[in-house]
Amino acid sequence: MSKGSIPFLETLSMAVESLWSNRLRTGLTMLGVVIGIASVIAITAVGQGVQKATEQQFQSLGTDVLLVLAGAARTGNVNQAVGSATTLTWDDAQAIQAQVLAAQGVTAFLLRPAQLVYQGVNTSTTVVGTDVAHPLVRSYQPETGRFFTENEVAGAERVVVLGSKVAERLFGPGGQGTGTKIRIQGERYLVTGVMQTKGALANVDYDDRVFIPLSTMAARLVGNNALRGVAINGLWVKARNQSDLEAAQFQVTNLLRLRHDIYPPQEDDFTVTNQVDLVSTLGTVVGLFTVLVVAIGGISLVVGGIGIANIMLVSVVERTREIGVRKALGATRRAVLGQFLAEAVVVSLVGGVIGIGLGIMIALGAATGLKLPFVISPTAVVVAFVLSVVVGLLAGVIPARNAARLDPIVALRSD
Amino acid sequence: MIELTAVTKTYRLGEMDVPVLKGIDLTINQGEYVAIVGVSGSGKSTLMNIIGCLDRPTSGRYVLEGRDLTTLDDDDLAYIRNQRIGFVFQQFNLLARSTALENVMLPMVYANVPKSERQERAVQALTKVGLADRLTNRPSQLSGGQQQRVAIARALVNRPALVLADEPTGALDTRTSQEVMALLTELNQQGITIIIVTHEPEVAAQTRRLIRVQDGLMVDALSKV
Ligand SMILES: Nc1ncnc2c1ncn2[C@@H]1O[C@H](COP(=O)(O)OP(=O)(O)O)[C@@H](O)[C@H]1O
Ligand SMILES: [Mg+2]
Repeated sequence: MSKGSIPFLETLSMAVESLWSNRLRTGLTMLGVVIGIASVIAITAVGQGVQKATEQQFQSLGTDVLLVLAGAARTGNVNQAVGSATTLTWDDAQAIQAQVLAAQGVTAFLLRPAQLVYQGVNTSTTVVGTDVAHPLVRSYQPETGRFFTENEVAGAERVVVLGSKVAERLFGPGGQGTGTKIRIQGERYLVTGVMQTKGALANVDYDDRVFIPLSTMAARLVGNNALRGVAINGLWVKARNQSDLEAAQFQVTNLLRLRHDIYPPQEDDFTVTNQVDLVSTLGTVVGLFTVLVVAIGGISLVVGGIGIANIMLVSVVERTREIGVRKALGATRRAVLGQFLAEAVVVSLVGGVIGIGLGIMIALGAATGLKLPFVISPTAVVVAFVLSVVVGLLAGVIPARNAARLDPIVALRSD
Repeated sequence: MIELTAVTKTYRLGEMDVPVLKGIDLTINQGEYVAIVGVSGSGKSTLMNIIGCLDRPTSGRYVLEGRDLTTLDDDDLAYIRNQRIGFVFQQFNLLARSTALENVMLPMVYANVPKSERQERAVQALTKVGLADRLTNRPSQLSGGQQQRVAIARALVNRPALVLADEPTGALDTRTSQEVMALLTELNQQGITIIIVTHEPEVAAQTRRLIRVQDGLMVDALSKV
């Protein structure tokens, strides 16, 4: 051990004793650091949760998929009409399939809420009218049984494939539904299969759906509802590969404009969404938001550090006589320096640890409330920890140096 | 054990030099029991601080236990204070938020005494000054005389060769003063060199040597045989 220093743990326990004997002040002093660290931890966690959620969504939607929805994208205000307009038809989907070279597959969809009954069990869900390309385009396969066939679509037959949750509601957990008949809006349908579990994303639960041929839906549930054939809410286009996505988007847009007699600057009556754009925009927003809040957290840390420095300076003056006594009893400069530095660091560190705990709690609450995945990055925790030590050291340097420099006789004379 | 040769101390107040000690020659041997007297402001405390290694002379030589202190740095002086010197102050100077036991253990913290040993030695020292039943009291829960006895226990706990007491009875009534003096006398009988600064003739009378400081000089040094 070097001359005049006392063991680290000794210094630490001395600091803790001193801080404990002045609990209220210590608590108030660490508040700034608590708030700073807690906000940084909480916000980075929420930001990462949002990012993770969008990534999950992105992956489940597929990186090579376009979503085309009926209705115009209105810029500047909330667009409630997208998908509910009747501007897209089954013919559009077939035209894209036939003419867009970059498209590997196209699947149309039309949604209706409906009532399902099986042996007295009653449940309501969303019926999706679609075509045989659906499993391929959406990367979504039956778990048991099969999807409906081309022939069944051509014949507008009453066949249905159930989402896993709907199957569970109708047949009970583990119940076998394939091959039985259920009623949809009073009519009997043959269950040909049950889809694999896809999971809920944001507010859409893909497992709470059933799938029937679009032709059947148009004929039996909806009726011929558009001038140019069967209206659909939208369609998914799967590009040949990810690099063809942009080409596919361009071609789909042009083809639909042509078919709908739209000439720019006329407004489109459909919207084409590229998932990659969407996710990267969201990522940028989240990133900016995180930077902003981390900056605010940083400012709060600086303020917290100044608060600690301030209180420590006052404390050194108040404890001048104590310092004199300690020096008379043999405390070296280094020992006094260590003691006050340790006090500042302990205040800041304890504040930091409380802040980390508080931040995690806030993040957990926010994740639960916002239905986001709960992500705490170890990096953020480690950085917060290190940061609070650094803040304490910086805040403690000047007060501790003042204390260490005190002349013992002057200190003993003070009152 | 203490040899001061032509020691001076001059304080600088602004542009002005204020000479407080103007050339002190003093030798104190191991085991002596000394009183330093003199009017207020004559420089008794200043001299005491120099002897106690809390302050350095402006000029002159100070040899303690054969070591010339003039060349030592602050950390060396802190070490000497910790190991060789016990201090007793007029205002007790106990740490207000610590118990009697903790106060007495403090010098051992800076001496790197193992934790296990500290408590044992502190209890011993407090027992010696008659406060074995007051270990966990804080200074505010003790009378002045008891506080001064805690301070004496603290001064003893690192087994010093020298105890310096600057007006140790100045804040006490006659009866408790007597108790404190009895303790110091007992310590001297056990071989510890004791130097007391005092105003009070009754206190000075109990020592075996009298040093008077006047106008920054030692004017006489009476020794009782
Ligand atoms: N740090 C200091 N700066 C300036 N003057 C001082 C200082 N310490 C003591 N003095 C002066 O030195 C003189 C002697 O002080 P001191 O040794 O405390 O006397 P005593 O203890 O005999 O009453 C006093 O006049 C005092 O004002
Ligand atoms: Mg004095």
